[in-house]
Amino acid sequence: MRVKIVSWIVIFGFLFLALNILNIELIQGRKFENLSNQNCIRLIPQEGSRGRILDRQGNIIIDNNLSYDVMVAPYENDQINKTLLGLANILNANFKDMKDTFRNKYIASFMPVTIAKNIDVKKAIALEELKPDLDNIMIQPYPLRSYPYGRLACHVLGYLNEIDLWRLTKLANYGYKTRDIVGFGGVEEKYDYFLRQEAGGLSVEVDHRGRLVSVLGFRPPRNGKDIQLTIDLKIQKIVEENLKGRNGSVIHMDPYSGEIIAMANKPNFNPSVFVKKSDSSILNLFADSDAPFINRAISGVYPAGSIFKLVVATAALETGKINLSTTFSCPGSTYIGKQKFSCWNTHNLQNLTSAITNSCNVFFYRTGLLIGAQTIYDYAIKFGFSHPTAIDLPYEAGGYVPSPLLKKIYRFRNWFDGDTANLAIGQGELLVTPIQIIRMMTVFANKGTLVTPYIVKAIDGEDIVNLKSRAVRLSLKNSTINYIRQGLRSVVADPKGTANALSSLPVSVAGKTGTAQVHQSSPHGWFVGFFPYQTPKFVICVFLEHGGSGHASSLVAKQIIEGMIQEGLI
Amino acid sequence: MRNVNLTILIIAILIVSAGILSIYSSSYQREGEFWQLIYKRQILWFVLGLILFLFISNFNYRRFWDMTYFLYGFVLFLLFLVFILGIVRLGAQRWLKFIWFNVQPSEIAKLVMVIFLARYFSTKSAEVVSLQVNKMGILRALILPLLFVVIPMGLIMEQPDLGSGAMLLLIFITMLYLAGVRFRYISIFLLIIIICLPVLWHFLRDYQRDRLLVFLDPNIDPLGAGYTVIQSKIAIGSGGFFGKGWLKGSQSQLRFLPESHTDFIFATFAEEWGFLGSCALLFLYYLLIRQGIAIAQRSRDNFGKLLAFGISLMLGLQVFINIAMNLGLAPVVGLPLPLMSYGGSSLFLTFISLGILSNINKTRTVF
Repeated sequence: MRVKIVSWIVIFGFLFLALNILNIELIQGRKFENLSNQNCIRLIPQEGSRGRILDRQGNIIIDNNLSYDVMVAPYENDQINKTLLGLANILNANFKDMKDTFRNKYIASFMPVTIAKNIDVKKAIALEELKPDLDNIMIQPYPLRSYPYGRLACHVLGYLNEIDLWRLTKLANYGYKTRDIVGFGGVEEKYDYFLRQEAGGLSVEVDHRGRLVSVLGFRPPRNGKDIQLTIDLKIQKIVEENLKGRNGSVIHMDPYSGEIIAMANKPNFNPSVFVKKSDSSILNLFADSDAPFINRAISGVYPAGSIFKLVVATAALETGKINLSTTFSCPGSTYIGKQKFSCWNTHNLQNLTSAITNSCNVFFYRTGLLIGAQTIYDYAIKFGFSHPTAIDLPYEAGGYVPSPLLKKIYRFRNWFDGDTANLAIGQGELLVTPIQIIRMMTVFANKGTLVTPYIVKAIDGEDIVNLKSRAVRLSLKNSTINYIRQGLRSVVADPKGTANALSSLPVSVAGKTGTAQVHQSSPHGWFVGFFPYQTPKFVICVFLEHGGSGHASSLVAKQIIEGMIQEGLI
Repeated sequence: MRNVNLTILIIAILIVSAGILSIYSSSYQREGEFWQLIYKRQILWFVLGLILFLFISNFNYRRFWDMTYFLYGFVLFLLFLVFILGIVRLGAQRWLKFIWFNVQPSEIAKLVMVIFLARYFSTKSAEVVSLQVNKMGILRALILPLLFVVIPMGLIMEQPDLGSGAMLLLIFITMLYLAGVRFRYISIFLLIIIICLPVLWHFLRDYQRDRLLVFLDPNIDPLGAGYTVIQSKIAIGSGGFFGKGWLKGSQSQLRFLPESHTDFIFATFAEEWGFLGSCALLFLYYLLIRQGIAIAQRSRDNFGKLLAFGISLMLGLQVFINIAMNLGLAPVVGLPLPLMSYGGSSLFLTFISLGILSNINKTRTVF
């Protein structure tokens, strides 16, 4: 009995479906046929705009501009030539070219064809005025990135381009689709998910002549979230001006919070080439052997040179192997085993303070041998070397600190005293990034805390500082820190100090120079320091790739600080 | 007998072929290796499915009785795997990837639940003709099997796959009805479900709620959930009486119709073959279900009967819901059209189900 009921239900079910199909296809068939053939339902997408990027005071660094595309709806074929002629007149384009473009890009009778991209506002308005006569023209606005400051902070910011296959496979689950515009490098890449906008649009019914009959539905587009950086636009400008003409990297940091106030690298690029999409300039940039896209501040690995001596000094003081009265004599070179290791000058008897002031190699060879390579390695790790600093920018490099164990593992060779000597003056296999170096100097500036550098302050107006990693208080003796600080001050204040050029400045600077030897090439120049001495407001790192010497870097630092004083920023 | 089995086979072949034609039509103009290959994949699966059908139709269906608990446990295991992988990958997860192919456990679950419920409500021998169900109280007749159904249903809903989960519930209700459970119990159950609906609404995810709201008025979200239904109706409607002809369906080929090779394949078919074509297809499906019911009626033992009914109605429900979805008469739930939609899991399981039907038909005499 129930079976019969079920059988009848099945029959009725199918009949029901069939009747509905009948309804849709035959009774209302004409209406649907018309709708589909003449594309009477049109979807007009509206793009939101990508989030802007601001500096620490809220000034806009990267913004969006509206650009206008022109599209032609081709379903009235006899009208086409007239429309194209009208378009060609206003846009000052060749009519034949327009016809060719139209034919090439034609898809179907109800899909609009994009004839021109990114036209002038005035021309867009002129075309709008044509619309009542030539009504198959459509002007579509959408936002394009604009870079009012051009190359400024390009590595920190990054550029935009169409998504590539690798990113697409990883991000498909997060709503990324083919031909989406995403950020490459810098904040645009790291915070792309927040900066992204979402399209919305209208669903409209139009008659066969393309005139709007009714709006069927609307979903508003969503703009991306604004990102506020810790960068100070004024200081960034001063820094970039003074880095002109040389390759290298300059970083400015707040010694207590770890905020990056300025970060500039040369060679650099202008992100707006990706907006205009001029293929030749883009290809040239990628082919440039100087690698303009690399953010040298965080991704460039270099030998540290004399800057690393501070690590050795810290290690020696902490382990008690030397104190302020320990002296070594520097006759210009010393023998370690059978190998001669030279200093860049002769110095007489020196203690730690004068060794830092004069940047004496022999003092540190001796000290390094006294404490041993493993201790130097341990303290280097303590200062954050050999690991990325976890700054919120992509592609940070970790660097490398050699040790007896690592040499055994990677090279199957024994460690020699000569290796210790090289390590003690920051040469050998040691590789560091400028951000690691400045972080190390910050420990002396803020008297003992290892901070995590960061560059993004707020997303969409909401402060994210609370989400940053906490600074780590290193367990260094106060006396160690003070001795070294005195040494750093003496580098500038003492007439024989390697950075004495900075003593003429009205603000008291402390720091260290470094000249890192490079095989068969000009040495790199480092200057790392902080100012004002007693209560530092800034830590600065100037790195000149193949700059010649630390002295050159210290001069650049001097110019930057002068610039800052002039603008009243200190 | 043989005639019936042959009929089932021929109907299935016809429907699958119609499906392959539609899949080809909706994909041959698209760029990318994936699209160019899918109709070939469907043909491959079709051939494998036929082999499965022949194999299963010689496989004594009574062995399923013995295997029931094992199958149930196996399906739960697979669903758990999917559930855990879903947590790990932080996203909607419906498939398990085995080396080179995807398995969708929710499809397997549908068949296994039919088998399970068929065994639950029947006896092993054919001598006891009337089902014992009349003697069962509400606990044994309703609550206990409900528990067994709710576990896989919950895991499936978590995937989240509302459509397959609801299918399990519908299968459960149909099996209850056919097994002869007292109508009183069934009506109580339905009432409870209806009363619980507002609570269940709360548990739905945002996009699932959107889909249900859009079902009531597709124009409230014309670019999102409503888009599919509007386009589907346009596709079907613009077919007219004779259809636009194979490979000439503009809505699906110009990609106005999303999922045109899976959930909305009926609309793709209807656009190209028109009213005549879709009614013919509908008729073929009806014949198939009818054969299944006839086999069930002819079968002598209760297990076979329930199994055959269950399978026929499972297929029938899926066909109904999918086509209703295409017509805008049901919310978009992501149920494939058996035998036509692109997809190995669904195709294989349908062929296995048809194989079981054919086997039940063969072993009418009981030894």
